[in-house]
Amino acid sequence: MEAALRMGAADDAVAALRAAAPFQEVSEGLLQRIAAIARPARFKAGERIYSAGEATDDIYVVASGRVEHLFKREVGAREALKRVERGGVFGWAGLLLGQTRRLATATAVEPAELLRIPTEELVKLLESEPVEGAAVMDRFGGMIQREFTVPSLLAQVRRLSGAPLTEEMSRLSLTLYRLSLWLKSPRPYLMVIGFALFLGFWYLAVEVWRLPRFKEMPGLTAVVKEWVSPNPTYGLSLYTAEYYQHIWVSVWRVTQAFFLATALGVPVGLLLGWSRKFKEYVFPVFEMLRPIPILAWVPLAIVMFIATESAVIFLAFLASFFATALNTMLGVQSIDESYVRAAHCLGAGRWQVFRHVIIPGALPFIFTGLQISIGVCWFSLVAAEMVSGQFGLGYVINTSYMMVRYPTIVIGMVTLGIVGYTTSALVRLAGDYLMQWRVRELALGER
Amino acid sequence: MEMREPAPAAATRGHILIDDVVKVYDPEGAAVMAVDHCSLEIEPGEICMIVGPSGCGKTTLLNAIAGFHEITSGRILLDGELLCSSELPKAQPGPDRIVVFQNGALFPWKTNLENVIFGPVMQGRLQRGEAIDRGRAMMADAGLAGVEHNYPGEVSSGMRRRVEIVRALMNDPKVLLLDEPYRALDSLTKSVMHEALLEIYYKNKVTIFFITHDLEEAIFLGHRVAIMTTRPCKPKKLLTVDIPHPRDYSVLTSRRFRELMEETNEAVHEEALKAFQAGEKEG
Amino acid sequence: MQATVGKLLTNRVLWRGAVSIVLFLVLWELGSRSKLWMAHDLFTPLRELLGAVGLKKDYLPWVGAVPAPSAVFAAWLGVIDEAGYWQSWYMSFQRVLGGFAAAMAVGIPFGLMLAVSRTAHGIGFPVFEVLRPIPPLAWVPASIIFWPTQELAIMFITFLGAFYTIVINVVGGARSIDLRYFQAAQSMGASKWDMFKRIVLPGTLPSIVVGSAVGMGITWEVVVAAEMISGGGSQMGGAGGGLGFFIWNSYVGGSYEQIVVGMISIGIAGYISSELLRSLGRHATPWLRVR
Repeated sequence: MEAALRMGAADDAVAALRAAAPFQEVSEGLLQRIAAIARPARFKAGERIYSAGEATDDIYVVASGRVEHLFKREVGAREALKRVERGGVFGWAGLLLGQTRRLATATAVEPAELLRIPTEELVKLLESEPVEGAAVMDRFGGMIQREFTVPSLLAQVRRLSGAPLTEEMSRLSLTLYRLSLWLKSPRPYLMVIGFALFLGFWYLAVEVWRLPRFKEMPGLTAVVKEWVSPNPTYGLSLYTAEYYQHIWVSVWRVTQAFFLATALGVPVGLLLGWSRKFKEYVFPVFEMLRPIPILAWVPLAIVMFIATESAVIFLAFLASFFATALNTMLGVQSIDESYVRAAHCLGAGRWQVFRHVIIPGALPFIFTGLQISIGVCWFSLVAAEMVSGQFGLGYVINTSYMMVRYPTIVIGMVTLGIVGYTTSALVRLAGDYLMQWRVRELALGER
Repeated sequence: MEMREPAPAAATRGHILIDDVVKVYDPEGAAVMAVDHCSLEIEPGEICMIVGPSGCGKTTLLNAIAGFHEITSGRILLDGELLCSSELPKAQPGPDRIVVFQNGALFPWKTNLENVIFGPVMQGRLQRGEAIDRGRAMMADAGLAGVEHNYPGEVSSGMRRRVEIVRALMNDPKVLLLDEPYRALDSLTKSVMHEALLEIYYKNKVTIFFITHDLEEAIFLGHRVAIMTTRPCKPKKLLTVDIPHPRDYSVLTSRRFRELMEETNEAVHEEALKAFQAGEKEG
Repeated sequence: MQATVGKLLTNRVLWRGAVSIVLFLVLWELGSRSKLWMAHDLFTPLRELLGAVGLKKDYLPWVGAVPAPSAVFAAWLGVIDEAGYWQSWYMSFQRVLGGFAAAMAVGIPFGLMLAVSRTAHGIGFPVFEVLRPIPPLAWVPASIIFWPTQELAIMFITFLGAFYTIVINVVGGARSIDLRYFQAAQSMGASKWDMFKRIVLPGTLPSIVVGSAVGMGITWEVVVAAEMISGGGSQMGGAGGGLGFFIWNSYVGGSYEQIVVGMISIGIAGYISSELLRSLGRHATPWLRVR
């Protein structure tokens, strides 16, 4: 029943689309692409466009004329009858989840010129521009709710599915968007002020005003000069191999201790949380040993382990182990009982519940625990190195003091801070990667 | 909404007999009686609505049927088989009686589809591939096509409820136990959920044991409504809703509906007042 | 009384705990005495195995070098009489409490300021977060250079240890106060100061309690380390005293049993202080007890 029309230039189509609520803020490029898939159609007065119950295919945008749109009773619209004119959009039932049939009957009451856009092609087009596409779908939803008075259908508007490519892009665009928001807020500038104050005070107190206790301290310029000098006075700078040797030794020790502690601590923690029997037998001994500060173990560790290397790693391991096991146990205990019950209802056996409910459910806590654990690991390692090490950042700090190489002390401290932060961030990233569901949930919450 | 197909043949399984059940918490200590000699018989394929004020013990009853709590005395039978009794106080939870929880218990770390296929795959009744096909089909049937690969946290709460119901139905249960599942939804979403539930029910005749405090919801959905007293819980009044199925939202304004509301309103209000004065805590 | 004793005796949890502790002690005893029983011919293959792997042949690895619980207990009885032992307790406690009190006095206001004012948070928090990964012990040399006395230097380190934890907990706690409390107060006409006094402070209290319990643990770690470092080995000069120094001294002096005595003593001391803190906390937040 359509008559092909010359609508003049494609500009007419773009203009007609631009007048429609969902497309109002779309970029010119995307709008042109939508216009390209749109086909014009003309209807006479009184002509039926489609009837309720027919299969959905195209979305209609009114370029001119008037259309009468009558919802089926079951849809539950507040106003079932709606007159649609230029700028109006109807026939969008195909955008609802699982909806394959028309919800309304549409009739032209005056001669009408319409644009027909095939629903599935439009969806594909929108998926290729994830940020803009999502905005368009949002506006469709708003239009359905407000103009067509069926707010209950709002929840059924389809979400553009995440094909792997668009998932990557949307994560990237989400990050960029957040970055742009951050730059527009006062936060980065306050941060700069904070650092400026801190560093400025350090510089002034030590090197300019020479305040009483401060003048003995290594100054900011002295430290920086030493750190970046190719020929450092005290032997350690960004250019010396020794510097990286010390870093590597400490990092390698922490890695060993941390992985051992995780390999042992997570299973122990899971069992402590999951099995009451196990907890009743093991927890008392655990809690007896835990309050003993790790560094109180130093002499005993030296006695126990003939090699100092093993002693140092043992100490870092011990601290990490307690933190990991405890947090894992708390994680298991905090899992909502409903999940376990639901799994039982669905016929899962004990080990299946453990694998599919307990472990994933405790994972967020486990990772928080791991971040604490790696901090504790560094803490113990540094102490152990300071007392009984050869090489390593703790050793560097200690000997620099003894040999009156003050700027190197600060270099050691700063390096520790950076390396410690990096390892912590790595743990956090690993957690984010393993727990996609949580990242997405949190991201949605921030909207 | 789609055109309704004629309802399938009447169900033959899912007959629940609650026989003189008593539940006392902490019998040697505070001795709080939650359920007081409660007897109720539910026909196969019946939608039985349990209405009562908060904290009156109706969840205890549901938990006893599901196998999460023990009973002190009495018996509960399902299709003639003993679930629990005074000798065997705790039933075994199983896929013949599946619970849909108040705050939802979809596993947040699995996608919607993975949630839906969880039951049959865990029990070994279906291979993973078959389960996925069946799961997809059932989700599409319930209007959930397109969200298979989303995580529950990414979709609306109304949708989550439906996914949870599909997850239950995948196991071909005899009984669906619903514990105030729509309590946290707004009334607009609720009315859509009601119709969605009925649609699903018409395609899969299961016995539905539905706890609510909303009398309107109860009369709209149920074949029978049991109004419970405040703690200790016991059926105070049993009402048969003689409005024919299939029903749609136009029932809400029909005269018969209003009449039924009037009949039961007083009984419900009386119990609500008692609960209020006793300072009952929910949950 | 009878009833409670009876209940204790039949308490399964207590029995299981007791069993495991006893088992632990027995294994420890056997392990420590391994030099004795492994000398027997029966264990020759075990000794060969240890030798082949490269460990010392005469006793079980690691455990074999540790003094036995019986010896430790005997040493402890001997040490209880000495005034020096209790002096160590006193000195450690003094440092812990001093540093901890300082951390609370500075940390709580600082944390509250960060939580309440967005500007303060923007300026202060990044610097705080950048300094936090540097372990407190790394500050020891800097601290000794800066402070005039050894004692102050050690207290500064203990202060640092607890400070970070307390601030993080205060900020987290203040931020998680339900917005509706503020809205309710505003609608009842409360001033900014009122809201701070009556909502922010009590609302943050539970987090402060948690933060201080954790902070207390860290404080003990740091005190022990600082005492060991300043008392033993390096030229940082001895302020001396304290349980950490006691341990180091025992090691240097070769009385290994006393090492373990010292370790257990610190464990007990740490446990006591945490419990004290927790009960103080419970008093300050009676509304949480209802749970």
